[in-house]
Amino acid sequence: MPSQPDKSALSDADLARAAQEGDMGAFEELVARHRDKIYARAYSMVRNEEEALDLSQEAWVKGWQRLAQFQGGAGFATWMTRIVINLCVDHLRKQKRQRAESVEVLEEEAGGVERFMPVTMPNPAAGLERTELRRRIDRALDQLSAHHRTVLVLHEFEGLGYKEIAGRIGCSIGTVMSRLFYARRRMASLLAGLKRENEE
Amino acid sequence: MNDDLEVNLELKLQAWLDGELSAPYSRCINPEIVGGEEASRLIDELQAIKAALAGNETARPVPETREFYWSKIERQIQSQAPGPRPAQAPRQAVWGRWLASLPGFAALACLLLLAVNPFASPVFDEISSAGEGMEAVTFHDQSAGMTVVWLTDTTPARPAESPDAKAPAPGKSEVEVE
Repeated sequence: MPSQPDKSALSDADLARAAQEGDMGAFEELVARHRDKIYARAYSMVRNEEEALDLSQEAWVKGWQRLAQFQGGAGFATWMTRIVINLCVDHLRKQKRQRAESVEVLEEEAGGVERFMPVTMPNPAAGLERTELRRRIDRALDQLSAHHRTVLVLHEFEGLGYKEIAGRIGCSIGTVMSRLFYARRRMASLLAGLKRENEE
Repeated sequence: MNDDLEVNLELKLQAWLDGELSAPYSRCINPEIVGGEEASRLIDELQAIKAALAGNETARPVPETREFYWSKIERQIQSQAPGPRPAQAPRQAVWGRWLASLPGFAALACLLLLAVNPFASPVFDEISSAGEGMEAVTFHDQSAGMTVVWLTDTTPARPAESPDAKAPAPGKSEVEVE
């Protein structure tokens, strides 16, 4: 009996080509290889384990259905990341529609008070160990609104430009700039607060 | 942030920091000149946050085993798999069906035309035509939607060839109404 070829030795491009021809085993290998990244991206945007699991799995299903569209140019993981980002943006949009408009929401949209606060601690991350810094960034991300977090994640973690972010979330470049500015200032304020908390 | 540093300027400084300004604009921006010390401090803060975030996203593995995670994806793929494509009908059969329906289609079109289009009615009111031994006059009443045809025997009177033969008498008319 011929032995099953070792799929883990194949490149993403080879696996994607095999999957395009209907090889589900090749697709499973791609899932195994990139599932953490796709799940982490979903989690970074929705901040909920269960929702992130569902969205990441839905992204893989969509990936399978749209495999014919994958040309290989940007790399398979990048292509899949775009799919999960789109799903998360849609998910957050639906959630926002369900949320009642409130003064807090409107204030948050406008940028909140942090936007107008003076710079007190130019580098709130200074002197922190990497593990501690990551933990604090994660906690601070939890406290950002979905709108601001999305823009921050897409810009800082995904490396997308203003124009591409605007296209993905369906708003103007001005709105992206404004949300990103607020998100950074709020992040600085949160990190500084967390730092003070630790020092006391 | 004080009032001197306008919101627009803040966003421009940020765009400059992110490399989103076009080269001519970018060359014009010098935080200390355009916004003073406050702008410089703001740039420092934005830069520090940018640097802190770079490469510091918390690694977050899927909280499920490979098999369990994949099994759900596999189930969804299999449940949503498109069914087999319907076999394409032979070209001849398609044409055959089309041609077969043509007379029916033509008849229906004629009926519709007659029923709907007033111009479909005969354009004449009264037409007279004469043939050998027979004259026909056709009259159409558009308002009543009725056509009347008079047939007149114009042959000279002669003895009947058979007693049972029924020939219209000269000058006698038969009327057909449609």
